[in-house]
Amino acid sequence: MLWYVIRRLLLIIPTLLGLTVIVFAIARLLPGDPVGLAAGPNATPEVIASVAAEFGLDKPIPVQYWNYLTGLLQGDWGVSLFSRRPVIDDLAEFVPATLELVIAALLIAVIVGIPLGLLAAIRRDGIFDYLTRTVSLGAIAMPRFFLGLLLQLAFAMALNWLPLSGRFPLIEFPPDRITGFYTVDAILIGDWHALGLALQHLALPALALSLSPLATILRMMRASTIEVLQQDYILTERALGIPPWIILFKYTLRNAVSATLTVIGLYVSWLLGGTVLVETIFDWPGIGLYSTQAILGQDFMPVIGVTLVIAMIYLVTSVIVDILQAVLNPKVRLQ
Amino acid sequence: MSQTDMSLPRADLARSARAEARARAIYRFRQSLLSVIGLAIAVFLITMALLAPWLLPYPGDVVGAVNPAAAFQPPSAAHWFGTNSVGQDILTLVIYGSRISLLSGVTVILLALIIGGTLGVIAGWVGGWIDEVIMRITDLLLTIPSLILAMAVAAALGTGIWNMIIAITITWWPTYARLVRAEVAAKKQEQFVIASRVLGVGPMRLIGRHVLPNIVTPVVVKASLDVGFAILLVASLGFVGIGVKPPTPEWGTMLAEARNYMPQYWWTAIFPGTAIFLAVLAFNLLGDGLRDVLDPRTRR
Repeated sequence: MLWYVIRRLLLIIPTLLGLTVIVFAIARLLPGDPVGLAAGPNATPEVIASVAAEFGLDKPIPVQYWNYLTGLLQGDWGVSLFSRRPVIDDLAEFVPATLELVIAALLIAVIVGIPLGLLAAIRRDGIFDYLTRTVSLGAIAMPRFFLGLLLQLAFAMALNWLPLSGRFPLIEFPPDRITGFYTVDAILIGDWHALGLALQHLALPALALSLSPLATILRMMRASTIEVLQQDYILTERALGIPPWIILFKYTLRNAVSATLTVIGLYVSWLLGGTVLVETIFDWPGIGLYSTQAILGQDFMPVIGVTLVIAMIYLVTSVIVDILQAVLNPKVRLQ
Repeated sequence: MSQTDMSLPRADLARSARAEARARAIYRFRQSLLSVIGLAIAVFLITMALLAPWLLPYPGDVVGAVNPAAAFQPPSAAHWFGTNSVGQDILTLVIYGSRISLLSGVTVILLALIIGGTLGVIAGWVGGWIDEVIMRITDLLLTIPSLILAMAVAAALGTGIWNMIIAITITWWPTYARLVRAEVAAKKQEQFVIASRVLGVGPMRLIGRHVLPNIVTPVVVKASLDVGFAILLVASLGFVGIGVKPPTPEWGTMLAEARNYMPQYWWTAIFPGTAIFLAVLAFNLLGDGLRDVLDPRTRR
């Protein structure tokens, strides 16, 4: 088990290495003039040359790549052309914000999706089943940015219940940084006022982000529960007179969840990419907003950095999912 | 066999069996109300896109005509969906936007299918190191969130509908490469393919006549589902400000602009947003329905 985990984690390294090659190639080989954009519209050739030299962009691409790679290993992830700040510092600031949002969305999706899926499967072909199936089809087709806008329109503008955007009121100080997660930090230092504010700001973006995974988890949970309920061993348990709720919670749930777990793992990557739109609409200061600004300015170091972080989170998640899979289902062998 | 042989020649028998299978498939599709709704919306949108030049209430608006005096009019008889910040008719823009969205959505999937399908067939059929190389690149590309990759490529290529289509295709072909490779590799081991090969059938004919027809189903199902998601990605790029250049009306771009005028001028957002939702929904329902018809085993 331990060996398996170590081996899987080590396998992440060549993947990330390959990823740096691909992303670097995309960033450098495509047309586009990042240096000209950074130097400004009225820059003289000398200024452009000095900007290019400052960022090492005057060297051949393989050399640029080698410099980037060696820097990466030393914790130097390059410098943003625009903010002129080290990318690693920017990431340290923005990654926790995105993770907080993604985890909140995933929690909503799991806490609501799994029981509803279970219920839909038990009451198969009933009104509730049809209702959830129809609503979840709609939810998957709903653009996140349109949903975000509708939520803002309803809960922030019309009803005025929740803040429109941002992560914290501009006029107040966020809780002292311990983890970078405002909610967790507020709990750690016992600042309930800050926790309330953080949760209020988190609610709408997390909701907008959670709807599509919620619907998918619901559908997956329904399908796998139905499959499990048709197994012979369930029939045997029924015949033995075991109460339905014991069959459900003790013998069905565990097997059904294990299939759903794979989907949840896949969704982590989707959510990390999907935050771009939600962060844009809610002005949430995470890596989505950061990478959007970087991409629009063709500022590629931040883009490569964000891509690597997302890939890393995704790859680690898939290891965790596989381990959880083995814990839930002893028939799964880790190899 | 002998019993039916007496009543019907073989060819007729095959034909009637096929006709029966088709009738059953149509029946299954119609059984599912949601698929029919999906088909209806999709047909409606496609018709609207094709007939757009004749349907536009204010044709000048799609080539950049402005009418500041008529800005921000709420929905009325003259402007069913209201007008935007420069007085353009939103119904006109939404109708014309369907052309951009459907055209790019379908084109992206076709291109991704051609590129990914070809590479997938090569990887699955040839195997060996070629397979390894293609699949490793595919895996790597799939670890990058498609939206971020498409945004980065589109931004570097510059605005314009074709640049956007290229950018999205780059993010999309790997999923087809993976699917087609898996299917081809599986079919390659099947008895009927091995038998044909033993009989001396050449590789091109083996792939074209024996393998590909047998992998069409999952690919078609995935493609029809994907058109919806491609339309969503197009709109997403428009929403973050990358993609089609104004004045060409695009649903996502319209929504992004409308954000600045909430909540007073809600109609500038609601109609393009609903259009995106309906288009994605239509192809999702259609894909689900096709899966039930073509591949009943995976029915859920």
